[in-house]
Amino acid sequence: MTAPFLQIRGIRKDYGKVTAVQDVSLEIRRGEFLTFLGPSGSGKSTTLYILAGFQDPTAGDILLEGRSLLSTPSHLRQIGMVFQRYTLFPHLTVAENIGFPLKVRRKSRAEIDAKVKQMLELVRLEGFEDRRPSEMSGGQQQRVALARALSYDPPVLLMDEPLSALDKKLREEIQHEIRRIHQETEVTILYVTHDQEEALRMSDRIAVFSKGVIDQVGTGSELYAEPATRFVAEFIGDSDFLSCAVVASNGQSADIRLGDDWLVEGVPLHARGGGRNEGALLLRPERVQLHRNQPAATGALPVRVDDLTFLGSNVHVATTTGWGEPVAIRLPFGHDAIDGLSRGDTVWLGFDPRTAHVFC
Amino acid sequence: MLLHFERLGSWKWVLVGITALTTAFLLLPILFIAALSFGSSQWLIFPPPSWTLRWYREFFADPRWIEAAWTSFKIAALVTVFSVGIGLCASFALVRGRFKGREALKALFLTPMILPVVVLAVALYAFFLRLGLNGTVTGFVIAHLVVALPFSILAITNALEGFDKSIEDAAVLCGASPLEAKFRVTLPAIGHGLFSAAIFSFLTSWDEVVLAIFMASPTLQTLPVRIWTTLRQDLTPVIASASTLLVLFTILLMMLVALVRKGFKS
Ligand SMILES: Nc1ncnc2c1ncn2[C@@H]1O[C@H](COP(=O)(O)OP(=O)(O)OP(=O)(O)O)[C@@H](O)[C@H]1O
Ligand SMILES: [Mg+2]
Repeated sequence: MTAPFLQIRGIRKDYGKVTAVQDVSLEIRRGEFLTFLGPSGSGKSTTLYILAGFQDPTAGDILLEGRSLLSTPSHLRQIGMVFQRYTLFPHLTVAENIGFPLKVRRKSRAEIDAKVKQMLELVRLEGFEDRRPSEMSGGQQQRVALARALSYDPPVLLMDEPLSALDKKLREEIQHEIRRIHQETEVTILYVTHDQEEALRMSDRIAVFSKGVIDQVGTGSELYAEPATRFVAEFIGDSDFLSCAVVASNGQSADIRLGDDWLVEGVPLHARGGGRNEGALLLRPERVQLHRNQPAATGALPVRVDDLTFLGSNVHVATTTGWGEPVAIRLPFGHDAIDGLSRGDTVWLGFDPRTAHVFC
Repeated sequence: MLLHFERLGSWKWVLVGITALTTAFLLLPILFIAALSFGSSQWLIFPPPSWTLRWYREFFADPRWIEAAWTSFKIAALVTVFSVGIGLCASFALVRGRFKGREALKALFLTPMILPVVVLAVALYAFFLRLGLNGTVTGFVIAHLVVALPFSILAITNALEGFDKSIEDAAVLCGASPLEAKFRVTLPAIGHGLFSAAIFSFLTSWDEVVLAIFMASPTLQTLPVRIWTTLRQDLTPVIASASTLLVLFTILLMMLVALVRKGFKS
């Protein structure tokens, strides 16, 4: 069995009394696009800086193709990085910026020129050779930064929120570019963002960070369909949580009671610690069924319709349970169940227990 | 803007008047000295009866003046080199360092700016007496370095604070060692600060007179000291021409600054 390409093993970083990250472990395949997704302060940058060698971990190790990187200083790690802030060298032209890594490696003039040309083509900035960073837009600067980071063919490219300073349209455009460049160069990318849409759009896999630990690693659809924690469920996609009582459980799944008397059996359970019998039921808006009349066979929960919003192909129904918790339902436009529905009506919610999740 | 110059009406002429007066107040003494240096009168009579270049000829013919000017230049150049070098190291510590008492240390470095120069001069004189440094170039350079360094540190810390450390980090990840990254990226990027530091240091030493009088010996004098001592012996118009040359050199230097600043901007 061959060792994974890049391994992060039990990384921990303390700043005095503050623990920035703990127990972060990941295995990254060669050529993979892996995104660190999490809210501000969750330790994404810290992990990236440890990989870059700007910070030493308090504990843990990093292995590239089986060899530890920790004793290698930053400038010898051969890792490329694009930063959140604009970091082009202000006194150098675009061509000189992109050629910089080759120049410090004492490559020949001809080799540098050829590579710079190739990189400018890659990021589609031909003709910008002699511009100064101050004469370019933020998006162009970040593309040059990307070209500079890739000019020495690093095996790993780190990107710390490289697009967060750009407006939405430009951001989406460059996300596309990065995706394309990833496919063309087959470089392994570790990407940091706190924007779930960006993460879902770009990544092969996503590592969700929360308070210094990785809650879950998986593809976007795995995280959406099988969230390991309530935090992941909340962070990825739209979600509502209903409080429920856990009546019985076998560790894997649980029987829960919703409201006064609706018993739902066999809901996948994600228990953390103590055997409390209060849980939170995760409902995704597009998975919730809406019945106009109380269904006879299966159980259902009566709710009041608060609002109806038409969003083109979808209709969004906002409802409230008898005890005051909101539940959103999304139905395709023209669905029978919403024909003639109006505010204040009482409807019944249903769902497939196997696709729901209960967290406690 | 609330107070727009064009909208001030007749008030604008008051402003123009005040500006003209201030300019005249600042410039007239210099113009006066320059005029005297070309005047033919031995007694510095104003307005000069006729014009001559005689005092400049005398200045350039007298090896003592030339030597004083050369000494001034030499000392100022040495002060510039040390002031920028030490100022750069100190600024890195002050801006990048994370240690207790950093703010206090910065304040301490800047005290020579507010300390009366004469106090400093007396203290250095007494101190150098023990070391035998009075009347030596080393003594001069150290004394001027004390007053030049604060300007240097101020200019360089400002530039360094405005420089994003991530840019240097990027250079390191590009494969430059931390030292190489500083030389190839950080120093060129804060070049304007280094340049200001150099000019301020040079000028501080170039026209400094109080410390110089204490440090000077009959055989080692700077231009300002020579002007001062000559002034006390006899009132020759050569002093006027020496002063004019001193001012001229300073003006040339400031013009160079303006030109280079423009270069940094573009
Ligand atoms: N140099 C430092 N000294 C002390 N604490 C730090 C330092 N750097 C980071 N931290 C702390 O470590 C935690 C993780 O920070 P980190 O920068 O990794 O978060 P992040 O996930 O990148 O957040 P953001 O999205 O805001 O960039 C935070 O609580 C932060 O306050
Ligand atoms: Mg960050």
